[in-house]
Amino acid sequence: MIQAGTDTGGDALSFELLLDAIVLGMLVGCFYAAVSIGLSISFGLLDVPQVAHPAMLLLGSYGTYLLGRWGLDPLLAGVILMPIFFLFGMALYRGFHEIFEKRGEATGIGSLAFFFGVALIIEVGLIMVFGVDQRAVEAPYIGSSITVGDIPLPIRMVVAFVVALLFTGGLILYLAKTFTGRAIRAVAQDEGALKLMGVDPVKIKQWAFGIATATTALAGALLIVITPVDPNYYRLYIGRTFCVVVLAGPGSMGGTLIAGLILGISESIVLTMFGASWAQAVSFGLLLVVLGLRPQGLFGR
Amino acid sequence: MALKLTVEGIDAGYGAVRALDGVSIAVGEGETVALLGTNGNGKSTLMKCIMGIVRPSRGAITLQLDDQTLDLCRLPTEEIVRAGVAMVPEGRRLFPKLTVEENLFLGAFRPEARRELAQGLDFCYQAFPVLKERRRQPAGSMSGGQQQMVAIARALMSRPRLLLVDEPSVGLSPLLVTQTIAKIKELKDSQGLTVLMAEQNLHQAIRIADRGYIIVHGKIVFHGESRAAIEANELVRSYYLGV
Repeated sequence: MIQAGTDTGGDALSFELLLDAIVLGMLVGCFYAAVSIGLSISFGLLDVPQVAHPAMLLLGSYGTYLLGRWGLDPLLAGVILMPIFFLFGMALYRGFHEIFEKRGEATGIGSLAFFFGVALIIEVGLIMVFGVDQRAVEAPYIGSSITVGDIPLPIRMVVAFVVALLFTGGLILYLAKTFTGRAIRAVAQDEGALKLMGVDPVKIKQWAFGIATATTALAGALLIVITPVDPNYYRLYIGRTFCVVVLAGPGSMGGTLIAGLILGISESIVLTMFGASWAQAVSFGLLLVVLGLRPQGLFGR
Repeated sequence: MALKLTVEGIDAGYGAVRALDGVSIAVGEGETVALLGTNGNGKSTLMKCIMGIVRPSRGAITLQLDDQTLDLCRLPTEEIVRAGVAMVPEGRRLFPKLTVEENLFLGAFRPEARRELAQGLDFCYQAFPVLKERRRQPAGSMSGGQQQMVAIARALMSRPRLLLVDEPSVGLSPLLVTQTIAKIKELKDSQGLTVLMAEQNLHQAIRIADRGYIIVHGKIVFHGESRAAIEANELVRSYYLGV
């Protein structure tokens, strides 16, 4: 375990461990923001109960794995998969719209079941195609470490951090500064008023859902860069992604980045102090605390 | 005339409730036309029909714009807006979580308006200086009068030729109503707009209107060709002036 060194030292060493945990937590946290930002759009901004988001993420990982077998770099593979995921997301939204939204049942149990169904189909499909064994990818930056200060950092984590930060930051800018981005943020607030701005709300939602789905391609590539995956690995990310979105406050894009960091650092500290089995409880624990104390999230208005 | 809105004999309703019964009105370029009537008589429904939000069951609504003629009963709302018609909706309908400036930017979504974004924004901030001060504030946190300003400015951001204003006085203090109505007149003159305004406050509305229709129970009961004609009408006198 990570605490292997603790028996040799006193306070100074545990402080170093804490610092290690925080730095590593920041790297992971940025990655958590990247895997959650798509859900922040679909669930937070569009009010679509997209519970298949984590499964889409895993689909991105397996897509990356598949392209990796042809010798493609995982990150490049993730980028190549994005337009395919974008189209898939648009089609998925169109189906959801025709079946549920048109009849005014967008937030009912039926639409939840619809996306759960999508998640299950993805999981079963992955098992049938790839089997239940773990899959991993290879790249020069996977497996080695660098030391920054006194802290050893796996390079794959640093790469994931940088890509996640650029990617999440870019999306936040897109949503804040472009006409389409503003319309995406406005659509759930008042669809009728958006029509009066000359915008077709269904087209905007379809476009936004396509973007939300496309994010899972690159985020899934980051996931398989960080860790090997198996077909039910996505379940871990149900708690994590929803925790980040709810902690941020639905619809807060900048908050998603901060919430990702909070979750990453908390998990990392718990992992260091109590062990890996407790770390998995952090996301649900945070989720419950937020829902109890501040249901609108940290940055929700 | 380069712009002409014609509503011809429309019926419209919600389920079994008939809100409009054979309504005909016309608005020509550069006019300010008031649609007068108390609550629940069909003013808003007529506005919604013109914007394609409610579809009439009978009759026709056409907009002649230069050399093209648009059938507003067939176009979806967003295309009517793109053609150059803007509405300040009843209840303002701002995007409360977006900032004032983001609301204004959304008003300029149509391509023609995006090209003139900077001028549009300058114009709105000149017309309503307080909006410039508060441009980074969430629109939902503003007072009712300021929200009405945002709603009007947002509609102007689309650079409309025809502006529909639905009940600008609702929820405002008498002083603010006077200011808002005067502002609409001022903006109309400086922008060369054509304005159709639905209003229950007759005294305020006829201050700026060239003509007016009075609508009662979904029917146009009187068409006043001038301010004086409206004020002199028996019906108006009994309904509004209590004489």
